[in-house]
Amino acid sequence: MTPDKLLFSETHEWVHLDQTEAQPIATIGITAFAIEALTDLVYMQLPKVGDQLTAGEPFGEIESVKAVSDLYSPVSGEVIEVNSKLPDNLEILNDDPYGEGWMIKVKVTDPAPLSKLMKLEAYEKQCSEEQ
Amino acid sequence: MVEGAMGRVIFDGPGSGVWNMAVDEALLDALAKVPADRPQAILRFYQWEPATLSLGYFQYLAERESHAASRECPLVRRPSGGGAILHDRELTYSLTVSAGFPQARPSTQLYHAVHRSLIRTLKEFGVDARMWTPPPSNARHAVQDKAHEQPGEPFLCFQRRTDGDVVVDEAKIAGSAQRRRLNAVLQHGSVLLERSPHAPELPGIAELTGVRLAPREFATQWEQALSAELGCSFSPVSLDAETLAAAQVLAESKFGTAAWNARR
Repeated sequence: MTPDKLLFSETHEWVHLDQTEAQPIATIGITAFAIEALTDLVYMQLPKVGDQLTAGEPFGEIESVKAVSDLYSPVSGEVIEVNSKLPDNLEILNDDPYGEGWMIKVKVTDPAPLSKLMKLEAYEKQCSEEQ
Repeated sequence: MVEGAMGRVIFDGPGSGVWNMAVDEALLDALAKVPADRPQAILRFYQWEPATLSLGYFQYLAERESHAASRECPLVRRPSGGGAILHDRELTYSLTVSAGFPQARPSTQLYHAVHRSLIRTLKEFGVDARMWTPPPSNARHAVQDKAHEQPGEPFLCFQRRTDGDVVVDEAKIAGSAQRRRLNAVLQHGSVLLERSPHAPELPGIAELTGVRLAPREFATQWEQALSAELGCSFSPVSLDAETLAAAQVLAESKFGTAAWNARR
């Protein structure tokens, strides 16, 4: 996936929306900007298939440089797939954040929070302001 | 001074591990509600009674079996990352800042600010310490010794080395870790004052330099140095009733439970 096909949250998660099904499927990861800012990733915890997520609430946790941070869900819905390779192979995030570095797939139950997500240009502007 | 930044300092007494972690998280919860344009910081100094082993958030409980000297000590899991710490003859600080605080990010900025002020304070007491920096091309370096050869990083935080840790010669005497939320950051860390019988492999400042530091006197000086470093003055306060009540709930529902401490 290329970033221009994605949507972005203020908290640096990316979303790819597949709208070919009756209920959209959101593939979610964290952005290259976030991965670079976090630097040295050592641990990650992701949710389980079947977990219900609420937009704006944590869906996982990540540790870097002894700092544990929450990962925030950009959508509301049910987790239908988890990238089980990721927690033990965090280098994938550096190598391919928008492809093999995907974290979870979620069946979206409430489309309302999607309207808060940004396109690439707006997200890049936010990142430049944070630097 | 930071415009609008309000700083408070709490010189707390010794407490159990469960209570200490509950208070730190209650402070984090409280500062997460602070508006971004009214930044706040709360500095807390405390100790642990009885001697307690704290696990880093992602560490496995079973790993404690590898450390025989602390096996009889009570245990609590921290909300922050890093390795295990045996809290005995040491001084712990926590610094909680709301997201609007100037040094809230990146994470390394807060680590370095606290550690610089610690090094300056140690110097006033005749202790020559410095920040550890990794060799080129190795940002994280696990120091392994013959007593602790195992895959991955050593179990104890003080046997690990991360950029910015505080060392005397090559011995680590202070390190810090964080829990980061959307609206606030909790950073806490430990200064090893003396060797503990529950972690005899780790010399403290007393063994390394011959200087014995009184925790309260040292904390008072450190608070002054940190105030200058952060550009934020700290007014002495006690834990308020609201924070105490929130900490009581967290102690009973989270940090004192097997669901939390044995979660990994």
